[in-house]
Amino acid sequence: MSQQGQAGADSGQLILEKEIVDKVTARFGDKAKLAYVKPRRVRFNVSKDSIMEFARFARDELGFDHPISVSGVDYPKNRIIDVVYHVGSCTNDRYRSFVLAFAVQLDRDDPVMPTLIPVYRGVEYHERETFEMFGVIFEGHPRLERLLLPEDWADIPPLRKDFHIKGREE
Amino acid sequence: MATVSEFTFSNFIKSVLWLLFWVLMIVSLIALPILFIVLFYVPPPVINGVEINPYLLLTMLTNPQVGAPLIRPTLDSLFFRIAVFPGFTFAALFATVLIFAERKFLAKMQLRVGPYHAGREAFWWANSLGGFLQLIADLLKLLGKEIIVPSGADKPIFWAAPVVLVIAAAGLIALIPVAPGWVIADIDVSLLAVFALLGFFPLTVLLASYASNSKYPFIGGLRALYQLISYEIPLILAVLPIVILASTLSLTGIVEAQYAYWFILLVPIGAFVFFITALAELERIPFDLPEAESEIVAGWLTEYSGMTYGLIQLANYIKMYALSALFTTLFLGGWMGPEFLPGVEVFGVEVLSSSETSGIFWFTIKTFGVALFMILVRGTNPRVKIDVLLRAGWSKLIALSFINVFIAVALLYLGVVGVGP
Amino acid sequence: MSGMGSAEGIPGFQIEGKGEDGMDRGILTLSVGPQHPGSGHFRLVVKVDGDIIVEALPDPGYVHRGEEKMCEYRNYIQNIPHLERPMIADSCGILYPYVLAVEEIANIPVPERAKYIRVMMAEINRCIFELYWLGIYGIFLGHSTMFMWPMADRELLIDLAEMASGARVTHAYFVPGGVRNDIPDAFPEKARRHLLYFRNRLKEYRDIFYDNPLFQARTVGVGVLSREDAINLGATGPVLRASGVDHDIRKVEPYDVYDELDFDVVTMKEGDSFARAYVPWLEMYESVEIALQALEKMPSGPVRTKLGPNPKGAVGEAFKRVEAARGELAYYLVSDGNPRPYRVKLSVPSFREIPVMAHLLRGAKLADMPSIYWSMNYWPVEADR
Repeated sequence: MSQQGQAGADSGQLILEKEIVDKVTARFGDKAKLAYVKPRRVRFNVSKDSIMEFARFARDELGFDHPISVSGVDYPKNRIIDVVYHVGSCTNDRYRSFVLAFAVQLDRDDPVMPTLIPVYRGVEYHERETFEMFGVIFEGHPRLERLLLPEDWADIPPLRKDFHIKGREE
Repeated sequence: MATVSEFTFSNFIKSVLWLLFWVLMIVSLIALPILFIVLFYVPPPVINGVEINPYLLLTMLTNPQVGAPLIRPTLDSLFFRIAVFPGFTFAALFATVLIFAERKFLAKMQLRVGPYHAGREAFWWANSLGGFLQLIADLLKLLGKEIIVPSGADKPIFWAAPVVLVIAAAGLIALIPVAPGWVIADIDVSLLAVFALLGFFPLTVLLASYASNSKYPFIGGLRALYQLISYEIPLILAVLPIVILASTLSLTGIVEAQYAYWFILLVPIGAFVFFITALAELERIPFDLPEAESEIVAGWLTEYSGMTYGLIQLANYIKMYALSALFTTLFLGGWMGPEFLPGVEVFGVEVLSSSETSGIFWFTIKTFGVALFMILVRGTNPRVKIDVLLRAGWSKLIALSFINVFIAVALLYLGVVGVGP
Repeated sequence: MSGMGSAEGIPGFQIEGKGEDGMDRGILTLSVGPQHPGSGHFRLVVKVDGDIIVEALPDPGYVHRGEEKMCEYRNYIQNIPHLERPMIADSCGILYPYVLAVEEIANIPVPERAKYIRVMMAEINRCIFELYWLGIYGIFLGHSTMFMWPMADRELLIDLAEMASGARVTHAYFVPGGVRNDIPDAFPEKARRHLLYFRNRLKEYRDIFYDNPLFQARTVGVGVLSREDAINLGATGPVLRASGVDHDIRKVEPYDVYDELDFDVVTMKEGDSFARAYVPWLEMYESVEIALQALEKMPSGPVRTKLGPNPKGAVGEAFKRVEAARGELAYYLVSDGNPRPYRVKLSVPSFREIPVMAHLLRGAKLADMPSIYWSMNYWPVEADR
C-alpha cells in the first residue's frame, strides 16, 4: 500500500495528500489552515484552541500515531514562535510513507499552549526541550523543567534568534 | 629547603660519602648492638638435635655439606610449612601466577594479546613470558595509591575487613594436603573446618559493605550475603557423598581413599554442583553480582582503594586457589598420580622422596587445570541476575545434591565402593 | 555506634510512607551516572524499593553542544563536519538526512553512482555502529568476550570506510550533490572480502552470546514493550521492530536507491530485551546483503554534482528522514533564502528512546537495568546533540 502513495507522489498527482487535505478541511475548516502540500509531506497551521482536537483527529482517524519530532522555530519579525509537530504513521498502510506536520503559531511574548502528551506520550521530552530552548510553556506537562541545558543557565532560551553565541553577534 | 643545585662530580662524590657515613653510623650504633642483645637473650633454634648458632651458619656458608642433614627437618618444621610451603608463600605465588594466567588466557580467548610489554625488554630471558612484570607494576600502582576512607565509615571494621578476608582465605590452605604428609594442619575433621572457615566470608563482606556507609556497597553487600549463604548449602551437600564414600572427614583420608579411582567418576553430579557453587563462593563471572559494575559500580568493593583493595583481591585469588585445590582434593584424587619424578637429594641426603615430588607436581597441575576451567567459564558467560541465581541455588542445585547423595548411598549399599553397610 | 546506625544514616536513603504490610517503606535513591561505569554520559535517577525500581528519571544533557544553534551560524557546507560529531560511530547515518534535506531545499541533482555509494557506505556504517553497540551491550551484561570480538571485527569495516573516505570514524563523506570523492578501484574487491568474512563471524556471535542460556535468562521476558506503547511513545528503529511493527524508513519511504535493492525488514513479536538485542544482529545480515548488492549494481560515472561556492536554499522547509542504525533519524530544515539554514532540528532516535526507557524501567528489577538501558540503542551524545 505504501507503494501506492509513492506512485502518486512520483506522478506529481499527490492523490493521497489531497485526500488528507480534504479530510482535514471537511472537519476543521478555518481552524486548520493548509500551509503546503508536497510529495508525502503535508503541513497545517492549527489554532491553539483546536490543537488537541486536531491531534486526536490525526491519531485516531487519519492514523498518524507515531510522534517523530517537536520543533520550535522563532520568527522575531512576525513576533511569533512556531511549534511544529511531525507525526508519522505506523499502522495506516495508506499513509505509511507520509509525515504530517501541524504547527501552532504562538505569540512570541506569551508562548503558552496545551501539551499533547495525552495524545502522543512520546512528545514529553521533545516538549521539554522546546520549553527550555524557546521558552514555550506547555500547560499540563508533568515535568516542565530543564533538560539539556546546565542547571545554572541564566539567560534567555538559547534557540531564540535574539540569543547570540558569544563572539558571533552580527 | 629544596634547592636545585647544579650537578657536579664533586657534589656527587660528596653525597655518596655522606650516605656511606650515615649507613655506617646506623649499622654500628643501632643495628649491631640490637643484634648482639638479641643473640644474647634469645636461645638459638634447635633442629634435629643440633643447635643452629651463628657459628654453624657461618660454617655452612663455607661447607654446605654440614647443613645438608638439617634441610629435611627444616622443611618439616611448622614455621616453614606455614610461612613457605604449602603455606602462605606458595599460595600467594600460586595466586600471582593465576592472575597472570587468567589475563593471558582470557586475552587469547578474546583475540587479544594481553599483558605484553612490562618486563619484555628488560630481561632477555623473559621474552617468551611477555609482560609478566605487569603484575609487579600493578602491585606498585596499588601500593602507591592513596587509601581513601569515606567519611562516616566505621573505621575499625573498614580497615579490618580486608585483613580478615586474607586471614580466612589463608586459613583454608592450612587444611589442604598437597603431597603425602605435606599439610599444615592434619586434623581429623578438616573438611568441616573448611566449611567453618568459608562461613567467615559472608559475614566479613556484609560488615565491610555496611562499614563503608555508602549506597552501592550496601546493595552489593546484601547481594553477597544472599549469594554466599544460599550457595553454601549445596556446597556442603555436594561434598556429603564424598564423606560417605571415603568414610572420613579428613582431607588426607579422602585423598588416600581415591588411590584406585577418582571420586569424580563415581559422583560426577557432585563435582558439577561443587564447581558451580565454588564459582558462586568466589563471586566470579557468571556469579559476580555483588561486584556488578554496570549496576552497582563495584558492589561492596566500591569504597575500597589502594592496598585495601589489593588485599581483597589477594584474598579472592588465594580463595580461588584454595577452592580449586579443594576440588582437586575431593574429586580429582589430590596428589595421586604416576610417580615418575625422581626425589631430591642434597649431598647424598634425601630431602624429598620421589612420591613427594610427584605428588606436588600432580597436585599443582590438577589445581591449575581446575582454575583455568574457572577462567574459561568467565570468558564465555555473562552475569546472571539475583533472582535467577537464588532460584537455581535453592531449587536446582540442592535437588541435584540430593540425587547425588542417593547415588552415593546406592553405590555404598550395592557394595561397589566403600566399607559396605 | 557511629556509622553503624540504621539505614537512615546512609545518604539518599529515605523513608517514604508505609507499604502494604504496614511496614515503613524505604526508598533508596540511586544516582546512576554520569560518574557511573554503567551509564555513559548520562544520568538516571533511580528510586528503588528493595530490588524493584519505583521510578527512573532520565536526566540527559551532560554532553549538550548546541548543534542546532551552531547550524544557524554556518552555511550549508560548513555544517557537514560538526553535524557528524554527535554520533561518530555512525557518522554517515546522522549526516544522511541533512544532505538529503539540503538537496531538496537547494534543488541539487545527485548522480546515480553517488546514490549507490551512499547506500553502501550507510550500510557499512550501520554495521560499524551495531558492532560497537553489541560490544558495549556484552560488557554491561558482564560478557567480556562479547566486548572484544565485535570491537576487533569492527576494525575491518572501519578499514573499508577509511579506504573510501579517508577517515576512520568521522568521514564527512556525504555532501549535497553526491559524495566527496569516488571510491578507489581496489575497493569493491576488498569490500566484498571483508563483508563476507564479517558475515561468517556473525554466526559465532550467536553461538557465544545469543545462544547462551545465561544471556537469555537475563533478557528474555525482560522489559517487554507492547506494540501500542512502542508506537505511542515514539520508539523507533530496532526497538520498534522488536515490538512487532515492520516500520523501516528504507522500505516505507525509500530514499536514494533503496527501492532498487532487495532486502527484508526484520521484525520480532516479543518486544523484550532479547528481541531488541537480536533484531540488530539479524539486520546486520541484511546490511551486508544491501552493501554487496549496491557494489554489484553500481554504475560508473560521476559521483558529485558541481556546486557553486555557497549554495543557497529556496525559501521553504524540508523534512527528511532516513533509517540510521538506531532508527528513524529526521532533519527539519527551514530556509529563508540565505546561504545559512534558518533553523535545523535534529530528531534523533536516541532522544526518542528516552520516554521508552523511563517507561520500561518503571517496575523493573535493579538487575534488569543494564539489559533494558543498553537494549534501547541509546547513545547519550547523540541524544544531547
